[in-house]
Amino acid sequence: MSKFEELTYYELLEIPPNASTFEIRQAYKEALSIYSSDSPISYSFFIEEERERILESIENAFATLIDAQKREQYDKRLVAEKKIDPSRVEKGKQKKPTPIFSTKSQAENTISDTIKKRIKKTELTQITEELLSKDLISGDDLKRLRKAVGIEVEEVFEVTRITVPILEAIERDDVPALPSSVYLKNFLRAYAELFHIDAEKVINSYLKNLDRIQGPS
Amino acid sequence: MAHILAVGGGKGGSGKSFVCANLGVLLAKQGKSVLLIDLDLGTPNLHTMVGVDNPKIGLNNFINKSTNDLSRTAVPTKIPNLYLISSTRCSLEVSNLYYVQKQKIIRAVLQMPSDYVILDLGAGTTYNTLDFFLSAHQGITVFTPEPTSIQNTVQFIKAVYLRKLKHILKQDGFTRIMKKIGYETEDGAVRSPLDIVENIMQMEPERAQMLQRELRKRDFRLVLNQYRKQVDEALGKKIEKVCNRHFYSHFTFLGNITYNERIFESIVAKSVFAEKYPYTPTCTDLKNITSTLTESAPYPSSEQEQHVQI
Repeated sequence: MSKFEELTYYELLEIPPNASTFEIRQAYKEALSIYSSDSPISYSFFIEEERERILESIENAFATLIDAQKREQYDKRLVAEKKIDPSRVEKGKQKKPTPIFSTKSQAENTISDTIKKRIKKTELTQITEELLSKDLISGDDLKRLRKAVGIEVEEVFEVTRITVPILEAIERDDVPALPSSVYLKNFLRAYAELFHIDAEKVINSYLKNLDRIQGPS
Repeated sequence: MAHILAVGGGKGGSGKSFVCANLGVLLAKQGKSVLLIDLDLGTPNLHTMVGVDNPKIGLNNFINKSTNDLSRTAVPTKIPNLYLISSTRCSLEVSNLYYVQKQKIIRAVLQMPSDYVILDLGAGTTYNTLDFFLSAHQGITVFTPEPTSIQNTVQFIKAVYLRKLKHILKQDGFTRIMKKIGYETEDGAVRSPLDIVENIMQMEPERAQMLQRELRKRDFRLVLNQYRKQVDEALGKKIEKVCNRHFYSHFTFLGNITYNERIFESIVAKSVFAEKYPYTPTCTDLKNITSTLTESAPYPSSEQEQHVQI
């Protein structure tokens, strides 16, 4: 059984050197189901001392690999002893578990990236200059800007995460449906930045226009 | 030359004869000629399992030298292509076979003209059983999910392994090496085969390499019988893994055979389960195991290389 003690912790748990903490935990559970004292397999296979020795190695392996600091030290030792390829344990190379509740999954990122690219590609100088020269900017002006690029409100939502009803309200100057001014300003800024135009100017002119609409009433 | 399968296992009642009979039927249905040989000497019952009530001729005729041709002692069964050599008419003391008789049987089995020969072995780890098991191209160990069965199976595997180890070392100064290592550990326990290999490796690295190479040629197949849904589905795979890690031979888990109430009925009716109830999950399991067996080469040497390190 001396062979067993010559294995690296990674070999012992049968995981690659860049395994994520999740994989380490899984491998440890799996190993316990074979080697722990209440498993019928190890009970039949090993005499008491052998099993205890194996279990101890497994416990050590898990305790070391699950602790980021200890793992780093251990990796350094393995590299020094030339037991593993250093490139496999480089910082940042270790696999990370995919978060379940991430709002930005990879697929979404690619969607928003393509939208941003489309906006960049489109020649907007004329329409933006026209827009910025105005004293008052209405929702309809913003809508025209969007149409000039040829993207839908849903696509604006994909990038800015401003909900579609609010985007539509902004474009219709629908005062009752608009959020309070703090939020509105932020939304307008996001909208303007998406199309690479002066955000402050858009906010000011848009709010001024709203005042004008509300004024007479 | 026939492809020889041996079905063994340490524990009685684990379903060795059941597996033999069903493998036989399924292979025969594929159009292969199959010969079942009941080598559960002393307590034979394979003839009942396949529904041959009173075989007129059997292994006894070969042992008492009334014929020199083992194939002449075979009787047909109800299933086309499936033949049986029974040992039910052998002496009650036949389990204590002489070494020469055993060698003669093994040599004769290797010459059988059928496509497949399936040896049904008895429980336990007597030399006869181990040598018959080792003579086959593929050795199948049948076990059930109880700890007692797992324990006896592991014990059986260790016994086969030790027997093989001795066979190899016998040709190469075994007694001298064993004297050097000592049969017993310091606290008086008999050394396990693993321990012996470890010791030889430390003391004589050159010979150890030869030993490892020879042991690697050994191919063990595992079957879990009487599988029930409360049993860990991966149990067989886990045992396979531990065996591959700690022995220097090659182990393959062939699959679970789901427990079925009707197996009892088929045995009572003296008919083979796969013949009587072909459309059951249990029969599907048996079919899967049969196809894995026939697809795999007896000694997949390339695969074995992967287990050298462990």
